[in-house]
Amino acid sequence: MEYSKYHKRIVQSLLDGKFLLRNEPEFLELREKELYYVEFFKASFDYELKIASDYAYLISGETNEMLSRDICIFFSLLCYELDRDGKNFVDELNYAEFEMEALENYFAHSAYIDLIHANKQLKDKDARRNFVNMLNRRNIIEKRSEERFSFTPAYKVFIDFARDLAKKRMEQPQPVE
Amino acid sequence: MKTEPKSILYFLWNYYDPMIELFDLQAKEGYIKKEALLEVCNKHGHDIEVKLYDYKILKKVNNDYEFRTVFYSFLEFILNEFKPLLPETIEKYHYSISELFRKIRKGLAEEKFIQLQRIQDLIGETRDFSEGVENNTIKLLTATRELKANMEKIDYREKIHRASEWIEYYILPMNKILDIHHQQSIANKLYEVANFANEKRLIGDDEQTRQQFEKLYYFLLQTNDNLLKQSKILTNELLPLIERIRTESIILSGCIEFLKDPRDAEPPTLLKSTRDMVYSRHMMLNAKEFWEQFEVAEKVFIEVPGAREPAWLFDRIAYREKLEARLPIEDFFGWCTENLEDGNKIVESEKLFSLTTLLFDEDLQLEFPDKNNPLRVRTENMVYRVPKIKVDKYGIL
Repeated sequence: MEYSKYHKRIVQSLLDGKFLLRNEPEFLELREKELYYVEFFKASFDYELKIASDYAYLISGETNEMLSRDICIFFSLLCYELDRDGKNFVDELNYAEFEMEALENYFAHSAYIDLIHANKQLKDKDARRNFVNMLNRRNIIEKRSEERFSFTPAYKVFIDFARDLAKKRMEQPQPVE
Repeated sequence: MKTEPKSILYFLWNYYDPMIELFDLQAKEGYIKKEALLEVCNKHGHDIEVKLYDYKILKKVNNDYEFRTVFYSFLEFILNEFKPLLPETIEKYHYSISELFRKIRKGLAEEKFIQLQRIQDLIGETRDFSEGVENNTIKLLTATRELKANMEKIDYREKIHRASEWIEYYILPMNKILDIHHQQSIANKLYEVANFANEKRLIGDDEQTRQQFEKLYYFLLQTNDNLLKQSKILTNELLPLIERIRTESIILSGCIEFLKDPRDAEPPTLLKSTRDMVYSRHMMLNAKEFWEQFEVAEKVFIEVPGAREPAWLFDRIAYREKLEARLPIEDFFGWCTENLEDGNKIVESEKLFSLTTLLFDEDLQLEFPDKNNPLRVRTENMVYRVPKIKVDKYGIL
């Protein structure tokens, strides 16, 4: 059986919980052999491979819920603060470069400060720095330098989550106050 | 009108503020109440009320007033205050244009001047329709941009609501009206008319009629271009903009909802990355335990610090000889003490007992002269009371 030279990297990265991104040759390989890899991960590990137009990642039944929840909180807070700052948050996530200092500023002065303090991963400057490093490891962000980073297309997973949640809540009958 | 046109314009220029106030009133209520008019007139000077009638700017409707259409439209135009017409309202042009067209087509043999009038009316209706579309688009664009900038600080839910409304009730119907491929659209009808006019401007007996058709034709070409432009704005600019507002607001609503109670919703599933190690965690300890059973334990001797004295051995023969040499001995224990005292005048118990065994030799004779007065012998840890023993050799020498 012939394996491409990217096979090992593809499998290792995905199993590490990383997102594979559009501009990487591994991603192209993955898309080309989409059917094979979907089956491969299902048969080998019982994992589901999700491939979108510009990112791919694995999900399993044994989900890392705490981490995912923290990432969602992070994104929700960031979107809220960006919007409050008068920025178009979808554009910012798509194209802009962020500075750690600016991020710190948002979090330190957020209206959701209680929520932030209660969250172990986000409660202070050091925790947030570690958190950002974790995001970098998983390819959810791309660090340009120690202080600057931008988001990869992986952000869409969490934005889609927020959108779906909103739609679901809107369909629910509002409680009468 | 009896008045000079310039005077009317001058009046409008001079009394711009009250005009706008009155315009606002009518825009809101649909007419101007008598009291409201008096209020405005009182504020800005009584004589304007007279002028408003003289210049035929306002007209009376029952007890109240309203702007004459031409003035209202004019103010609306310069203020850019168009209310977007519901597409249903624009639909009415479909009927009027179609009717006129039908009549024109049917009545080719009829009176010329009626035909000419009809063509003229058709041009007029088309113009109104085109302008209506243009105004609508401008207004929608402005309103959408305002919504995006959120000048009124509207709640996200409200934003979604408005954006959705606009898409559903204005933009999609408008697109349908302007869609030239859609059978029922006005644009389609105008296309049909244009084809007809194109034909009729080239054939037909009457010069005047042909000229009118030619006018109609070119006008319709221009209108078509205009409609195309409007349609482009709607699809390329307006619709995406509103969609974006809607999407962003939905996303933001989702974010805010989630932050209300992060534990309530189920977040997207992410892989739990595990590190599979080939060996177990206890490998180190287990290995150590295993090897220990093969260890050969060396015997370890521990030296007590301090010089050891050579052990004292009871040299029986030597002491026996010493004893014999001194026979007869009056005080055996005294002799022991003599021989065993070390520098500190201490006799060791062990040595004393050893020497005492000499007494049990068979060839020695013991006498106990004074049993009631024991002697004392001090050892390192005791004081012994011992009898005085006289030792002599047994028998006669």
